[in-house]
Amino acid sequence: MVAAMEVMLSVQGLTRCYGRTAALQGLDFSLASGEVLGLLGPNGAGKTTCLRILAGNLAPSSGRVLVDGHDLARDPLRAKRRIGYLPERPPVHAEMRVDEFLDYCARLHRIPSRDIPRAVARCKRQCGLDGVGRRLLGKLSKGYRQRAGLAAALIHEPDLIILDEPTDGLDPVQIREVRGLIRELGNAAAVVVSSHALSEVQASCRRVIVLNQGAMLYDGRLDQPRDLLLRLKRPPPLSALLALAPVDDAAEQDGGFRVRLAAGTGADRLAEAVVDAGWGLIELTRERTDLERLFFRSIGMESAA
Amino acid sequence: MIRAIAAREWLSAFRTPVGWVLLAATQAILTYVLLEVVDDFTGTEPALRSAGINLELSHNLFGTAAVLLLLAVPLLTARALAADPRAPERQLLAAAPVSNGDILAGKFLALALLLLPVCLLPAALGLTLLGAAPVDPGLLLASSLGLWLSALLFAAVGLFAASLTIHPVASALAAYALLLMLSLLSRVEQLGADTLGVLDWLGWNQHLFWFLAGVVRLSDLAYFLLMTACFLALTLRRLDNLRLA
Repeated sequence: MVAAMEVMLSVQGLTRCYGRTAALQGLDFSLASGEVLGLLGPNGAGKTTCLRILAGNLAPSSGRVLVDGHDLARDPLRAKRRIGYLPERPPVHAEMRVDEFLDYCARLHRIPSRDIPRAVARCKRQCGLDGVGRRLLGKLSKGYRQRAGLAAALIHEPDLIILDEPTDGLDPVQIREVRGLIRELGNAAAVVVSSHALSEVQASCRRVIVLNQGAMLYDGRLDQPRDLLLRLKRPPPLSALLALAPVDDAAEQDGGFRVRLAAGTGADRLAEAVVDAGWGLIELTRERTDLERLFFRSIGMESAA
Repeated sequence: MIRAIAAREWLSAFRTPVGWVLLAATQAILTYVLLEVVDDFTGTEPALRSAGINLELSHNLFGTAAVLLLLAVPLLTARALAADPRAPERQLLAAAPVSNGDILAGKFLALALLLLPVCLLPAALGLTLLGAAPVDPGLLLASSLGLWLSALLFAAVGLFAASLTIHPVASALAAYALLLMLSLLSRVEQLGADTLGVLDWLGWNQHLFWFLAGVVRLSDLAYFLLMTACFLALTLRRLDNLRLA
């Protein structure tokens, strides 16, 4: 999967210790351009530590981070030119106007002076900041400050975008906009998004890594189709269920059935067919993904999965 | 790059009350000192002092300004580097392709520019007497240069102290301790030492004294530049090590 595309980020044996506590334990993964990776884990799992190391804000205790082939420890300036980083709290200066702040960020990222107005205009358009260029950042709402932080991370058109809880504090409309933006960015760049919310990662990411206590529990794709779980009052034999048109495959599980739908049909068609057959529909739900099971197991709530 | 960081710091000082309060407080105190000096030279009884008005002006105005700077600069530098490494500003700079040297140079340049008008205030006050008294502009210029160089040294010491701890109050206290040590070194003779040698040279106040007397000596210029560079180099070393902490 990664080998076919250009590897933008390569993490090898990443470990970070705070005193005797290991915040990260030997993380290994790589990410290609065009991939959106969700870093998922409960609070204190090591997500922010991991992102700070990937952004070059923190040195690892051991291990290497390569950004487009450049070692972040040995050649930090070259590597950081390719990185756009939005920390947990947006790094904005309250006393600056939005335009001034983005101009400052552009200069920090060594964008030539003549290209700065165009870069600022593009980022403002991308992040919905068009009407607030002259406003002081300290006077803006949390949502707008978050957008300004996001614009600052994107000003130099980075190849690797690292976003720590990017929708934190946003209202539902803004959340939808940011998710759309992340998907759009993921078409060209490699994007890493951290979150403790399953829905957040599921909405924006195509691949997920679950972290708990600094260790990687799971690394897999999210875009595989999921089965349905069906519970009936008067369960028929399996062969009768398999004979229904919307059913492609089915198996008995925990007193019910796990059903895979045929191509081109939906859960509504299955529900209709079950009701028409008179089997007494009690429950029809989507099966939890491995991700959810792993996540709940990682936070010690295995029974909830 | 350095210019962008310095411009932002400078803008921040004057968009917030910090720069204005510093200028206003210095102006108010120095104006009082000026009136005290002028008072000695007016009235029915002429001043019976050995020093003329020029030396009185330079010693009192610039001496007071130096003490004010010694008190103010550690407060200005306390938050320059001492902020929490997870503070937004630190994260913005740390994630940008900017070296620690550029960050330090930008912060130091901003402090130098912020302190320049403060250092010119005593000269401006002295020059208000130009039509009424034989004021020596050369002496005021030399004194201003000495004061600014002292302020730069204080800034370098303050930045070094700020790099030692993430707590602003602790860094300000460390800067005061270092500056007081540098102030008292040349007074060790009071403890009974006959010759001070290098200790005498390390104290900043006696080097400023020559500037206030209107004498610009190469050795004093070298002292301020070397000591400032030394503290900046120590700060840079500390910042480079900080990432591993």
